[in-house]
Amino acid sequence: MAIAQNQLIERLPRQERASLLAVCETVTLTLEEVVCERGKATRHVWFPVDGFISMVAPIDGKPALEVGMVGREGMLGAHLGLGVDTVPLHALVQGAGSAWRVSASSFRGQLARNPALQRVVNRYLFVLMAQLTGSAACLRFHKIGPRLARWLLMSHDRARADRFHVTHEFLAYMLGVRRVGVTTAASALQRTGLIEYHRGEMTVLDRQGLEAAACDCYVNDSKAYADQFG
Amino acid sequence: MEHPHHNQLLAALPEADWAKWRDLLEPVTLAYGQVLFESGTTPTSAIFPTTAVVSLSYLTRDGASAEFAVVGNEGVVGVSLFMGGHAMPGRALVQSAGQGYRLRASAVRAAVESGGAVLQLLLGYTESLIMQTAQTAACNRHHSIAQQVSRRLLMGLDRAQSEELTMTQEAVANLIGVRREGVTAAAQKLQAAGLIRYRRGHIAVLDRARLERQACECYAVAKKAYHRYSLQPLALAA
Repeated sequence: MAIAQNQLIERLPRQERASLLAVCETVTLTLEEVVCERGKATRHVWFPVDGFISMVAPIDGKPALEVGMVGREGMLGAHLGLGVDTVPLHALVQGAGSAWRVSASSFRGQLARNPALQRVVNRYLFVLMAQLTGSAACLRFHKIGPRLARWLLMSHDRARADRFHVTHEFLAYMLGVRRVGVTTAASALQRTGLIEYHRGEMTVLDRQGLEAAACDCYVNDSKAYADQFG
Repeated sequence: MEHPHHNQLLAALPEADWAKWRDLLEPVTLAYGQVLFESGTTPTSAIFPTTAVVSLSYLTRDGASAEFAVVGNEGVVGVSLFMGGHAMPGRALVQSAGQGYRLRASAVRAAVESGGAVLQLLLGYTESLIMQTAQTAACNRHHSIAQQVSRRLLMGLDRAQSEELTMTQEAVANLIGVRREGVTAAAQKLQAAGLIRYRRGHIAVLDRARLERQACECYAVAKKAYHRYSLQPLALAA
């Protein structure tokens, strides 16, 4: 059997995993592609493998601010597990790569027949809730430097590479700050040797250093995940 | 006279589920400042407020708190019980004293296991709470204090079902996670424009329509999500 390379799918027992993968297809995630829009009917569920997706709250109808991130540890479309069909947040590819994709109707069918999948989705919803809850406080209180460090760690975890592509413009938009704020914060991280940034290529040099520089929210999110799936 | 049907979720229960729950629901009095559960603990019961209003907030390690959702007679406190009974990531604090009904965790679990319309209702509400949380997170970054104060007053009014709130400026500041001076300035502006009247911890709303225009979109987004997710699935099932 193929290795799913998505941690949620890998948690399923053998038979349930095979049953889900049988209705999944492999798709490419293209940088900055909008995979779903808030308020629309859900068409697909995604299980990223090496790409990652930002969940973004729209303000005045436009995507404005990242409130959560999904990579191979998670899934996009967990709201179907709550019996809800409407997409709750915009979702935007932030790291190019690949993902498993399944149609919403097939996924509902799987949920109905597959209690192990239901349990995994429920637990993941809980992780997601913890992430959003923490974001409310993080966006209010934490400074751009620690938030940027946290964002880099989250991306580093999901990109499965020390190097990934990201522009300051995109970061400013995701973090809800001005571009100059990102540039200043990134320069500070570069000066202390934690990252190297050159023409849109971000390289993580000192992961431990970044962990020390990030706000608590990074550890809290990791703990919430470990509590459910550890 | 209080009745469980003063909570909108309980009122929306299908006949058969209501017959099961009516004897299990215990009336509770919720006092101002009472902590229903602390961050990281698993709720021992679900609480359906009728007149009380509960604030869910996240505490940072250095002691600051930011509210991420408000629950009143439209909702229920303790949604983690519907998702397998894990510890909640925030603190639930009674922010306006009043009444509610309690359903013990074991009864909640039985309802969840039996599935059907009642589970659909509770999970739909859970999704609307998730949306409210996401919207509040974005709001905390993007919107002015005056917009946030207006949003918060409207959310309080809907749940208090009155045109007056008992809330000090300090309490408002703590809820939205800003300094009191900022709230005072915003409240003065709203008062000067004739939208509210503020006196010794009492806020009377004089012009609700204009207050709604003054609030950021987050108020309408959360309200719409509630109607779409919580109550509609039942309407569809009926």
